[in-house]
Amino acid sequence: MTWSDLSVVAPLVAAIGLAALVLVADLAVPGRRALVLAIALLGLGGIAALVAWTGQTPGTAFGGTYRVDDLTTFLQLVFVGIIALTLLFGPDYLEPRGLPVAEFATILLFAMSGAMLVSAAADLLVLFLGLELMVIPGYLLAGYHKHDALSAEGAVKYFLLGSFSSAIFLFGLAFVWGLSGTTRIDGVADVLAGIAAGRTILSPGLAMGLALLTTGVAFKVAAVPFHYWTPDAYQGSPTPVTGYLSVGPKVGAFAVIMRLFVEALGPLREEWVIVFFVLAAVTMTLGNLVALTQDNVKRMLAYSSIAHTGYMLVGLTAYAEGQIQGLEGLLFYGAAYAVMNLGAFAVIGALQRRPGVTSRLETFAGLGRREPLLGALMVLFLLSLTGIPPTAGFFAKAYVIIAAVQGGGWLTVLAVIAVLNAAAAAFYYLRVIVYMYMREPQGEPAPVGHGGLMRTGLAVTAILTILLGLFPQPFLASVTSAAAAIGTALH
Amino acid sequence: MIEVGAVPIVSVVTFLPLVGALVIAVIPRARVEEIRWTALGFALATWIVSLLLVVGFLPGRDTGPAMAFQYKEAVDWIPLFGIQYKVGVDGLSIALVVLTTTLSWISILASFSPIRERVKEYMISFLVLEVGMIGVFVALDLFLFYIFWEVVLVPMYLIIGIWGGANRIYATIKFVLYTLVGSLLMLVAILATAFSYQAATGSWAGAFDLEKLAGFGFAPTFQLFAFAAFALAFAIKVPMFPFHTWLPDAHVEAPTAGSVILAGVLLKLGGYGFIRFALPLFPKAAHDFAPLMIGLSVVAIIYGAIVALVQPDLKKLVAYSSVSHMGFVTIGIFVFTQQGLQGAILQMVNHGLITGALFLLVGVIYERTHDRTIAKMGGLGGPVPVFAATLGFFVFASAGLPGLAGFVGEFLVFVGTFAFSPWVAAIIAFVMVLGAAYLLWMTQRILFGEVTDFVRGLGDHLTDMRPVEILTLAPLGALTVAFGLFPGLVLDLVAGSVRAVLAAVDPGLAATIGR
Repeated sequence: MTWSDLSVVAPLVAAIGLAALVLVADLAVPGRRALVLAIALLGLGGIAALVAWTGQTPGTAFGGTYRVDDLTTFLQLVFVGIIALTLLFGPDYLEPRGLPVAEFATILLFAMSGAMLVSAAADLLVLFLGLELMVIPGYLLAGYHKHDALSAEGAVKYFLLGSFSSAIFLFGLAFVWGLSGTTRIDGVADVLAGIAAGRTILSPGLAMGLALLTTGVAFKVAAVPFHYWTPDAYQGSPTPVTGYLSVGPKVGAFAVIMRLFVEALGPLREEWVIVFFVLAAVTMTLGNLVALTQDNVKRMLAYSSIAHTGYMLVGLTAYAEGQIQGLEGLLFYGAAYAVMNLGAFAVIGALQRRPGVTSRLETFAGLGRREPLLGALMVLFLLSLTGIPPTAGFFAKAYVIIAAVQGGGWLTVLAVIAVLNAAAAAFYYLRVIVYMYMREPQGEPAPVGHGGLMRTGLAVTAILTILLGLFPQPFLASVTSAAAAIGTALH
Repeated sequence: MIEVGAVPIVSVVTFLPLVGALVIAVIPRARVEEIRWTALGFALATWIVSLLLVVGFLPGRDTGPAMAFQYKEAVDWIPLFGIQYKVGVDGLSIALVVLTTTLSWISILASFSPIRERVKEYMISFLVLEVGMIGVFVALDLFLFYIFWEVVLVPMYLIIGIWGGANRIYATIKFVLYTLVGSLLMLVAILATAFSYQAATGSWAGAFDLEKLAGFGFAPTFQLFAFAAFALAFAIKVPMFPFHTWLPDAHVEAPTAGSVILAGVLLKLGGYGFIRFALPLFPKAAHDFAPLMIGLSVVAIIYGAIVALVQPDLKKLVAYSSVSHMGFVTIGIFVFTQQGLQGAILQMVNHGLITGALFLLVGVIYERTHDRTIAKMGGLGGPVPVFAATLGFFVFASAGLPGLAGFVGEFLVFVGTFAFSPWVAAIIAFVMVLGAAYLLWMTQRILFGEVTDFVRGLGDHLTDMRPVEILTLAPLGALTVAFGLFPGLVLDLVAGSVRAVLAAVDPGLAATIGR
């Protein structure tokens, strides 16, 4: 290790250091919630600056196993943003229930370190290490409300299926390593390029590896039919955790897909594209159909998040067919989805500030009259999730659809499936608006105040939801350069 | 590329209502009167600015065969895909923008008395709705057009869903889902069109620019698919048979002003879409689809009239009459003759005025009786003479009495269709009689005959029209007479647009059109 290595990995070191600092600060001065949050949020600001700074000079560290390129920078900034927003939304829900905030912050920061490691992985083992560091804190968070039976049930399911899929994934990595003789991502790509050029049929071992890896990541992104853990884990978890779980590990899993499938397995695109085509079509359709029947908003958003996985996979499929816009669309979608979904869950969390309030549809009855501002924000997030312009969700959908129609042929069919799904999804998103504005509450619930952090977080997500939809251009530069970082090497 | 005029007047017209909505957003909700007057003030200001468009447009009217837009503004918006904020108007746009701004202030004024709950949200929704509608008529970039097209959806969803009748939630969700299915497929077609242009020219620059895309000559197979997607979106909006089933529900459940805007402007978005986008972009496919479109239009004309004949509910009768009347619009568009297209445009404007007025009148009577059943009413001519006379006037206009606006549009469509096929024209003529039948029968049952027990039971509640109600209907009546006697007022305005569209779909035909 040299000093130059250290300057490349500085953001990651800072992230782990911050997690440790928050933990120690809580031990040293227990009960000082404000102090802990201040340290964490200021630290996140510093890390974001550090990421942006190191991102200006691409480089590698630790013998080429850790790489900083434009994709790394983009993804790491998204993750820092996700964690910061989750920290803003958390306290309002956790405090009234007597759940500790400091541990919450620490666990999130460790998860963020894992995601940052995934983003920068240039080696399969580093990739796996990052993946596990990212998801294991998720298991803890799902069971964070330990006296709540639903929370415990969700956590156990999440943990069992999560570790199961990690094992499958690792097994797949072993096959790829065995057949290519290297764990270095660019090395694997080189070997596979040779194989792809030489023969038309995959060797059984490689096919096996591909199948196992696909299954593993399909679990992580919650693609149908590997999605069964999602609704229970999402419904049972404390609401701010659900918000985080629905975006953090999902975008992280897409980061894995980009490093693994796009980069390392890129030469085999023609082999895996059909699988992801089917996964995309089935995932968005089933996710939406089941979401239609839910009367619990958290569970409904869980299924809707499955559907959004499907839309993002459309972008991946378009990329595999040679459209770089597919990758750009996927990245933009990930960021937009993170913002609007976190916002929607934040509104649910804000409503649940008083313990005992459920996340059923009835909770939303008359919200437009009780709390006009909160209602209006929820409308904004739901319209964005539906894909109505001018919001982030609309431009994200348009982006992946542009990529799909460029691919032409059966990708156009996928685009049509996607928009028909978006129309079906409108039904259940709009139903929440029906409850908020067109039904009256049964009994008058006592008004709840909202903390300053919650207000700040909601303002940020709302502004971003509009800005990304109305003026995406400044943001597109970083999306295109991030996609180009891994896309051009293969074309 | 930036070419903004001295005063971006089109943008001012488009976004002035949005400024109004933002102003209302900061007024405390308890100050209902201020909210109402602010909304009306901004709607009137928008109307006045839109009239300036007409004044400025006429002298400089372009007479060439190509689409000639004026007051153009273009600013790069998302250069990565060549998406621009590009707006501009021609005669057709101006006619429909002025129709929108006129009906908007009338609707807002007509909402003062019936809307008493959540006035703030109502007025904000209405002004945002106006932004979307005007935006659709002035957008010259397909991406921008799509955004305005969808922006219309949300406020109308809220207006029907919050301030509507008993079955409003079913009606509003049906309205949104129908529209969304069509419009999202259109989004795919828009993106595919832009990409085809990009693939052919090698650059995204101008890929969403209507002026560049029109007459570009896309591949015939591509045209078929893209036209089908556009046509579905527009057909649902018009609505054409068999996509019309959302309309009676939405109309019946919507509050009065919502119905006025639905019938007056929202249906016109579909007709406008055909004329402005579907035909010039995909002329080959338009010809291929024309027989189908004409066939569906004929069915809509007959079906709408027959179903209207048996409606027991006053509002539903007017709603189905819209299906029939809008059938004239689509048939006029797809016969590809000068008279047909002129008639279609005229019919759009006239239908907006007349049906808007009829919905206002239904609202007037409903506010007093809280009932819309035709059978319960009778002999209203005695107790409320002003209302009776006004209703009679607009019913005659709607039935196509010569000298009033309704006649000219339908007659031009008839003439245009005759050149296409005398048999289809004969069917139209027959239905024009049928149209007179259901409207006059309804009028007879309501206004004349014995005063029913129901009407007698209303007693003092049954008052004649108030001055403010007369004020909302007077401009519509005046325009109905004006356009009936001097259809040239509209036809001169849209002459250039008609020529350009016909030139796009049939270059040979356009050469034969004089002036």
